[in-house]
Amino acid sequence: MRKRAVALYAGMGVLISILTFMLMPAYSQEDIVNLADSAFGDRERPAAVFAHEEHNEKAEIEECNVCHHLYRGGNKVDDESSEGTNCSACHYVEGGDTTRPLMKAYHELCKSCHQENKAGPVTCGECHRK
Amino acid sequence: MYEFVSGPLVWISFGIFFIGLLVRVISYIKGLDWQKDRVAYSAAGIPGAAKSIVYWLIPFGSQGWKNNPFFTIGTFIFHICLLGVPIFLLAHNILLDESWGISWWTISDSTADWITLIFFVAVIFLVIRRIVNPNVRLLTTGYDYLILAIAAAPFITGYMAYHQWMDYKTILIIHILCGELMLIAIPFTKLSHFVLFFCSRAQLGMDYGIKRGGRYGRGICW
Repeated sequence: MRKRAVALYAGMGVLISILTFMLMPAYSQEDIVNLADSAFGDRERPAAVFAHEEHNEKAEIEECNVCHHLYRGGNKVDDESSEGTNCSACHYVEGGDTTRPLMKAYHELCKSCHQENKAGPVTCGECHRK
Repeated sequence: MYEFVSGPLVWISFGIFFIGLLVRVISYIKGLDWQKDRVAYSAAGIPGAAKSIVYWLIPFGSQGWKNNPFFTIGTFIFHICLLGVPIFLLAHNILLDESWGISWWTISDSTADWITLIFFVAVIFLVIRRIVNPNVRLLTTGYDYLILAIAAAPFITGYMAYHQWMDYKTILIIHILCGELMLIAIPFTKLSHFVLFFCSRAQLGMDYGIKRGGRYGRGICW
């Protein structure tokens, strides 16, 4: 009786572990679908749509620091990147002394690249879809 | 297409708008003739000119507004929305900030949404007024409805673009084109009252401020 109970608990434990591992990728970077930065608080528009993996594949972006740039003393550090750090860690919503305000940083980063490469959306509603 | 209508065409339409209005004001002033107009144009008339402009910019400020209360309310709501929404719209200010680094106070998107609906009510009121008021009906032609349509079109398409009805990018391009059409139409049509209102109010105010008991009367602003 006791052995069966142990086996049951062990079985349940294994099952839960497997399920957890199966569901885990749902919270990984692979499934980023929009830029819902929590720093914004109340938003005027829906968060910009952005499928991270799909975008980078289509745009053929290999290096993280194409977007996740790192500045030190006002200069861009070419061989380092800032992924894992929130954009709002440097780009405050209200703007800093040397950094762009958060919304402006997002808009300029996305739109300037899209305009330069003549690919990707530049109008309001193409990213902020209802 | 978006690049063209949001780039060079903006410059062209604002250029026509500003230069056109300047030409209209200069030609208005150059066309003044005290003998033909029987208006006393002199420095003594400046207070009367200023008074006429100010009182006509205030709801129920002038006798003309007081005599037509419904029209006064309707037209003031119409004009406040017409100027206020595009100038203080957040999205317009963001575009201006990203292009030139300038922006001013903004209203929230939901506020703009409501004001736009109020604007539509004012447009409908102005249309109905032209149909039901015999005095105005007599003076109304298709041209007047066209002018009203030119003024309303940027709002109708802007409302559709904001709510992303139909094909967003097509509607957005049409919206920008409608705004540019309005800017270009202003110097060439009755919409020139954008500046000529000030000219004709100054002209009449100058006259009423000097003659017709303006300097000694009870101070009524007609």
